[in-house]
Amino acid sequence: MTAPIRGGSTREVDLPVSEAAWDGARERSDSPFVQGVKRLRKSVTALVGLAIVVLLLVVAIFADVLAPLSPTTNDQTAMFQQPTWAHPLGTDQMGRDMLSRIIYGTRISLLVGVSSVLLALFVGVPFGLIAGYYGGRTDRVIMRMMDLILAFPIYLLAIILMVIFTPTAGLLGTIKVTGAIAIVRIPIYARLVRGSVLSIKEKEYIEACRALGLRDPWIVLRHVLPNCLAPIIVTTTLGIATSIIVEATLSFLGLGTQPPTPSWGWDLKANVAFIQSNVWLSLFPGLAIFVTVLGFNLFGDGLRDALDPRLK
Amino acid sequence: MRMRRLRLGVAACLAVSLVAAGVTTADAQKRGGTLRVAYGNEILGLDFHTLPGYEMLWVASNVGCGLISLTPDGKIVPDAAESWEISPDGLAYTFKLKKNVLFHDGTRLDASVVKFNIDRILDPATRASTRTFYAPVHSVEVLDSHTAQIRLKYPYAFMMHMLAAYRTGLILHSPTATQKYSVEDRKAGKPEAVVGCGPFKLVEWAKGTHLVMDRFDKYFEPGVPYLDRIVIRVIKDAVTQMAAFKAGEIDFIADFSADHVDTLRAQNPRAQILTGKETTPMVAMMKVTVPADGKPMSKDRAPHAIFNDIRVRKAVGCYGIDRKEIVKIAYKGQATPWLGIIPPGSLDTVDVTHMCPYDPAKAKTLLAEAGYGPQKPLTFELMTNTEKSVFHVIATVIKEQMARLGVTANLRLVDKPSWMLTATQDGPFDMYVEDLASLLSVDQNAYLSATTAGWNSTRHVDTKVDEYYARYAREMDPAKRRAIAKEFQEFSADKLYWNTISGSPFYQIAQPWMKGYVYQAEFKVFYKKVWLDK
Amino acid sequence: MRIYLLKRLIEIVPTILMITFVVFVMMRSIPGDPVVALLGDAYTEDDAIKVRAEYGLDRPVLVQYVIWLGKLVRGDWGHSILNGRPVLNDVLIRLPVTLELIVLSMAVALAIAIPAAIIGAVRQNTWADYTATSVAMIGVSIPEFFIGVLLLLAFSIGMGGMLPSSGWVYLPGTCPTIVCAASLLGNAHHVLMPAIALGIGRAALLTRLLRASMLEVIRTEYVTTARAKGLAERPVVLKHALKNALIPTVTVMGLQIGFLIGGAIVVETLFAMPGLGTFGIDAIIARDYQQVQGFALLTAIAFVGMNLLVDITYTFLDPRIRYTG
Repeated sequence: MTAPIRGGSTREVDLPVSEAAWDGARERSDSPFVQGVKRLRKSVTALVGLAIVVLLLVVAIFADVLAPLSPTTNDQTAMFQQPTWAHPLGTDQMGRDMLSRIIYGTRISLLVGVSSVLLALFVGVPFGLIAGYYGGRTDRVIMRMMDLILAFPIYLLAIILMVIFTPTAGLLGTIKVTGAIAIVRIPIYARLVRGSVLSIKEKEYIEACRALGLRDPWIVLRHVLPNCLAPIIVTTTLGIATSIIVEATLSFLGLGTQPPTPSWGWDLKANVAFIQSNVWLSLFPGLAIFVTVLGFNLFGDGLRDALDPRLK
Repeated sequence: MRMRRLRLGVAACLAVSLVAAGVTTADAQKRGGTLRVAYGNEILGLDFHTLPGYEMLWVASNVGCGLISLTPDGKIVPDAAESWEISPDGLAYTFKLKKNVLFHDGTRLDASVVKFNIDRILDPATRASTRTFYAPVHSVEVLDSHTAQIRLKYPYAFMMHMLAAYRTGLILHSPTATQKYSVEDRKAGKPEAVVGCGPFKLVEWAKGTHLVMDRFDKYFEPGVPYLDRIVIRVIKDAVTQMAAFKAGEIDFIADFSADHVDTLRAQNPRAQILTGKETTPMVAMMKVTVPADGKPMSKDRAPHAIFNDIRVRKAVGCYGIDRKEIVKIAYKGQATPWLGIIPPGSLDTVDVTHMCPYDPAKAKTLLAEAGYGPQKPLTFELMTNTEKSVFHVIATVIKEQMARLGVTANLRLVDKPSWMLTATQDGPFDMYVEDLASLLSVDQNAYLSATTAGWNSTRHVDTKVDEYYARYAREMDPAKRRAIAKEFQEFSADKLYWNTISGSPFYQIAQPWMKGYVYQAEFKVFYKKVWLDK
Repeated sequence: MRIYLLKRLIEIVPTILMITFVVFVMMRSIPGDPVVALLGDAYTEDDAIKVRAEYGLDRPVLVQYVIWLGKLVRGDWGHSILNGRPVLNDVLIRLPVTLELIVLSMAVALAIAIPAAIIGAVRQNTWADYTATSVAMIGVSIPEFFIGVLLLLAFSIGMGGMLPSSGWVYLPGTCPTIVCAASLLGNAHHVLMPAIALGIGRAALLTRLLRASMLEVIRTEYVTTARAKGLAERPVVLKHALKNALIPTVTVMGLQIGFLIGGAIVVETLFAMPGLGTFGIDAIIARDYQQVQGFALLTAIAFVGMNLLVDITYTFLDPRIRYTG
């Protein structure tokens, strides 16, 4: 029985059963992707999730065009307004248009969510490959480091990191938040890839490749990596969902994105006290987070079902 | 017919008199009950002499007693001292103590106790936070068992105020307990160690969870306190505070966030919302000098790259900030736009706000004179901390106002300890927004803005400020003092080493059944006369 | 088995050492230290230097760590610099609150997950299945603080204050003994809303796991054989499928519990619960080095210990699993 992946987000825990599933997927054909995509197209959940994700991407990219007003300009004549045609979601304490803030907030959430996961991926996967392939002391050292990060509850580490980095506004601040979240997620990818590598490392055709004189990096890239891709993709998609929640939570605690950069988590926290008189000021950021995370979760789930049908 | 009307009349009279009787008996204080208080911040520790924090202070004013106390309208009233005499030359303050004052550990209060306490504060090894205020004190003499005399080196107009209400005022500790237990024991809140002569005694403190005080049966004032017990809990989040208040789970919120007052009022129409003229300034301070050799707190100063130039200070902090807009957005108009170094509610305050009308055109001209403009735009960093939500609201509004001048202000939000470190340890900053501390008088502000003060966060080097404080403190004639204060506040507004933007209002919320509490801003939170009408 | 246990216990020690050391170093890299807060308004540079020397904060980080370790092995978790209170006491005061929250949260999670999983597995691919999985999916997508706020709004502010707004209330006479073991039952309805807020999030993953594992069993020969023997479907499902599903579920529950020990920060803050999560974050922000160490130590022990516990539980759940030296 393989050791289950520990720590980090429990949403990506690798089930003991899936080992066998990966073998099966590989044996069926040499392009599991084609099979996967076919299954994906039939899955309602995946398509709904994908639709949500695409919609969000569009909103994020075209925020400047879509948002009716600036998300940061104060207007002292229009504080705490109820929804009207001019301000479909009302205004907040500083007279800022809530709809525009939510639209721009998509940018931050997606930016932080996606880039933190990609960063974790680009750091974690190579580590995992090296650890699994070369084994021995390298493996032990790398895995010790990963265990160390994994042993921290995700929020504790993210909070300490943010306090060290000092939350800042603007692009630099976003980079800091991204970095903090990425660091916490690196071990997940490292472990994932390492597990995959270990399972096929001893296979005969790898030995054959070596005998033929093929160089290690090429072997790794051509044979080892493609087999990890399915779980990596699934983990990444689900990881984006988790990262978005972590960013919102950090902002809720005041340690994430700083004002006046629009952030759903921050707006939720700042406006929750006015929930009785102006419900939408906190309701809509909360709904925005929910829909976004739901979209990624649905899509990720659909991907997992499509690429690893035996898990269904 | 007539008989019936008569009978009705008698019945009506009876009814009215019964009701009247009911009303009068209801007004008499009821003894007993537990007061449930909510704090928005944690108590840092319970050593009254050394630790900072209002939350600790408010416990200290009920567990401890002093020589004298202060009423909301500024009168000095007796506490453990029954009377006092000030010598004509203002150098000797003689206090006659009450004979029946006991500490919670049973020991008696006498003149030697007073001497012990003040000597302790004067001793640098104690590191008492109020030590700077005792600078004029020469010594304390015990004239007889219940008469103590404080001798000064030079006249100090605020000696009585200082003893009554600067921070905790003078809190008398039992010498027995102080010598038996260590400062760590007191900090940790061990009930045997935290011994005072006040109406309530400390029962237990579980940090972050609750603090419990019980009535001290041998309190020297008869009949009080009415309450059996006080339980203080820490509820940090305003929403949770409001929910707890609405559900009747707490009776009193000791410090409520200004921007949620309207919401609470709407939820609880019968709640008592206690506030008054602001005694705390909301400031947007601009750093004036930096250490020349890069070492924090170095005596060698160099000018700050941006704000050493008074034209820039005036452009940004004086004419460039629309104080009215800030008050409107951040406080919904429930605060006073202000410029003076002394807040609107403090003693001898003067309104100098007219010296800085909002004038963006003038601001731009001044900036151009100083060399800033479209070719060389001004950019600076605006720092604030996360302690109160209103700070970042004000900072955001200032950022927008700066944008109207073509100036870029980058916000930097840090947690309170980081902010304190940067502000008090000569750390790098350009401007910060915060509300510092509440001030009873001009004199008390010396510890925040004299050139030698640790809390002189802008690190100005103008000794004229020190001169004003010294003159003010030694002037015994109130009218002349007021003139000095006026001159000082105008000078300060002109130089802008200190930049106030408004008063910072203070709110306390009480349930309708909590009676007998007298609002005294942040200075005194006394539960002695509180009773519960339930 | 015993040798295995011993080996694992020995392995735990370096991990815990590493974690606490890293936290130790990280805390001292953050700008600011407890001395600034300690001295407050009366802060002067000279006093600060003296106080730092008194508390040994001016020595090299490694030396400080070794001193802390030395005290630890003697059972002394240190005293807070800010308020002088023994760290171990304060941690133990908060522990029952967090434990009660965790137990109730997992109970809520299982109460949602087990029926949902059974429905999903037994009536696979029907509307009931989709509903159950959707509910689970929704639960994992809403941030905890949002659920918490909605619950607070609905049941504390609304509905005439049916449920109390804060997760903990002081019951007289239960302190100052080391563990503030207030009547846990007395506080149960206080913990209900925070437990629901946390439980919903955990339920989703558990539902998915249970369902998947149960489906696996349903497809195997167990069930076919049992059906061939003429046994009714439900007992078959419940007995065999659930048992098989227990192992991965126990793994994940163990991880979730380990996480919640220090990770329920947001819910604890929102519901004013004096638990370990708020203890940790307050200590970090106040730069209370000793308290942060205590918190990190406890969290590390809990997490690592949970893993070990889970592995041991395997042996009871599946007799085929045996750990040899």
